[in-house]
Amino acid sequence: MTSAVAPGPAPAEATPQRTPLLRLTDVVKHFRVGVNASVKAVDGVSFDVFEGETVGLVGESGCGKSTLGRLITQLIPVTSGTIVFGDTELTTLGGERLRQQRKHLQMIFQDPFASLDPRMTVGDIIAEPLMNFGLMRGREKDRRVQELLRVVGLNPYFNNRYPHEFSGGQRQRIGIARALALNPKLIVCDEPVSALDVSIQAQIINLLEDLQKEFGLTYIFIAHDLSVVRHISDRVMVMYLGKIVEVAPSEDLYRSQAHPYTRALLSAIPVPDPRIESKRRLVELSGEIPSPINPPSGCHFHTRCPIARAPGVCADEEPPLERKRDGHLAACHFAEDVITALTFGPAT
Amino acid sequence: MSDPVLDVKHLSTSFFTDDGEVKAVRDVSLQLYPGETLGIVGESGCGKSVTAMSVLGLVQRPGRVVAGEILFKGRDLLKVPSDELRQVRGRDIAMIFQDPLSSMNPVLRVGFQIDEAMYAHDKIPKEQVHSRDVELLKQVRVPDAVNRLRDYPHQFSGGMRQRAMIAMGLSNKPQILIADEPTTALDVTVQAQILELLRDLNQQLGTSIILITHNLGVVAGLCTRVIVMYAGEIVEEGPVEQIFEHPQHPYTWSLLRSLPRIDANRKDRLRSIEGLPPDLIDPPPGCEFSPRCPFRIERCFSEDPDLAEVAPRQHAACWVTMDRAYAEMNAGSITDTRPGAASGVRPPKDLEPSAAETAETAMQSEPEPVGADEQA
Repeated sequence: MTSAVAPGPAPAEATPQRTPLLRLTDVVKHFRVGVNASVKAVDGVSFDVFEGETVGLVGESGCGKSTLGRLITQLIPVTSGTIVFGDTELTTLGGERLRQQRKHLQMIFQDPFASLDPRMTVGDIIAEPLMNFGLMRGREKDRRVQELLRVVGLNPYFNNRYPHEFSGGQRQRIGIARALALNPKLIVCDEPVSALDVSIQAQIINLLEDLQKEFGLTYIFIAHDLSVVRHISDRVMVMYLGKIVEVAPSEDLYRSQAHPYTRALLSAIPVPDPRIESKRRLVELSGEIPSPINPPSGCHFHTRCPIARAPGVCADEEPPLERKRDGHLAACHFAEDVITALTFGPAT
Repeated sequence: MSDPVLDVKHLSTSFFTDDGEVKAVRDVSLQLYPGETLGIVGESGCGKSVTAMSVLGLVQRPGRVVAGEILFKGRDLLKVPSDELRQVRGRDIAMIFQDPLSSMNPVLRVGFQIDEAMYAHDKIPKEQVHSRDVELLKQVRVPDAVNRLRDYPHQFSGGMRQRAMIAMGLSNKPQILIADEPTTALDVTVQAQILELLRDLNQQLGTSIILITHNLGVVAGLCTRVIVMYAGEIVEEGPVEQIFEHPQHPYTWSLLRSLPRIDANRKDRLRSIEGLPPDLIDPPPGCEFSPRCPFRIERCFSEDPDLAEVAPRQHAACWVTMDRAYAEMNAGSITDTRPGAASGVRPPKDLEPSAAETAETAMQSEPEPVGADEQA
């Protein structure tokens, strides 16, 4: 896991014996709005994902994390850049050949109410991927559906019920069963627990962890809740305004950060412990997130950064995402100063 | 301790639906003291918002307060005529809601809406209203306050809108501010700013705050006292430090252990709470948490425990309490969170959940006899 992510088309330090399951190179997605403007939702993102790992993607609303998830599953086409899955380049595929790849790439959605067709039975919902690919029918299909229900912790005889008969947590399990139906390699989980209550969240997180072990799944886990992401992920990528600003191993993300935005984000997370809370100091960010239609020059974060030198290098030059200390990758000109210049709470 | 500003006694609120009476809040008593920040935490459907709505007389049909008293300044708010209650609402007790966008009128300027709150109550002299709205926006740290007053709500960001809502709530210098999930719709950096604002306002103005939230971290940061609700009832209450360090109700304990914490060891598996909250049309006899509780004993299925003092100023509604669970059931070392796992107690035959209801929990693990090995 030493060099899981590298910027640019040629990963500088990729471990030679491991080939990534997924490699994104300079992926860009611009949505056109109006005549001469576009929302730069994802603005040059490169990273690798290796088999069996969980990569977390966090950021505040509008940072492009969900768009990136949809690009990976090719639910929307890229503006430029490449997405290589296994040895297949997905962005140039179309029609049937792309459809065949979808077997290996599945998605779990945020809203367990909107993502299940209310007029289909649970059995039909879970069997739909099997039917789409003409893989199973009749008895065999029913057995597979029941097996999947069992795997996600539901009663296998629920296959004739409708989604409205289930609670939010149970529906999320149905969504997970559907994603598992085709034995995918990679599952993109887009905020899979943020609509759920705390006590149910833990059930779903544990289930996802168990399934990963059992089926050797690879996850891309997208969420705005850094505590949840850090818990489930091996590596965490932090996004800000369409760019990855830091990649860090989950273990030491709380202890050390190499980007001021990550540090501010961490300082803002309330910890359920009054003693820690009373000592916590907020790394204040000035202003609000700029518009992704016209992001700031140089480092996108410089307008709000507490340690930016602007005018100066931060406003003029875009910092590359590169290796800083302790296995962190960060896109910051002054990553070395982050810990010393910005202190918060008990981490220091 | 001084007299409470708000004293809720044995409040029960129900919703009369076609399926039956949903007993959303049952026998809830709480006191709010001057200058205090009281947190009410619980999961969706636990009755925390309905409790607040009941205080302000905002429960709508088919809901109705069925029993209790809400004493504010010596008057029972449930008995005062609606026009008098209207004078209390917004003037003495203000409320801010989760979604600041749908709480504001989209076609009226923000300044007008803040002024409106002041004109409605005649507490602030009319000629002062205009200077006060600028002052209020500055107080809630909206930059460029003079110009922003002329903006419409859609020109404000989510965080700014919530600030404007807080300004509106504070405009009549209320004694109590009820904040119902004020930061749930906001990003965490913005949430931190709003919480800091509420903390400062509480200290500067002495406004008592009731903070309703599902986020235990938010409570830990802002509140001095906390009430934990489950299935329409208060299960535990007490000073924040005590509740977080020595929770006595198994629900509070489980909830705290089910959270992924940013400062925790990542390898620890989350201790989930198995099962689902009960149906409030037909709550289980005995303790509402017993169907999901790892520490339940036989008594829990038949008798509903009342809140009892478990430590100075701390009350819990539990027959077992965590002190006993730690001493007798090795609560600290349990890894199995299935119902009855620590005590080995199964529900009586007639309460055995049907096959359909157990699906979520029963299918997850091998059907071996629950809890036998943890006891050893």
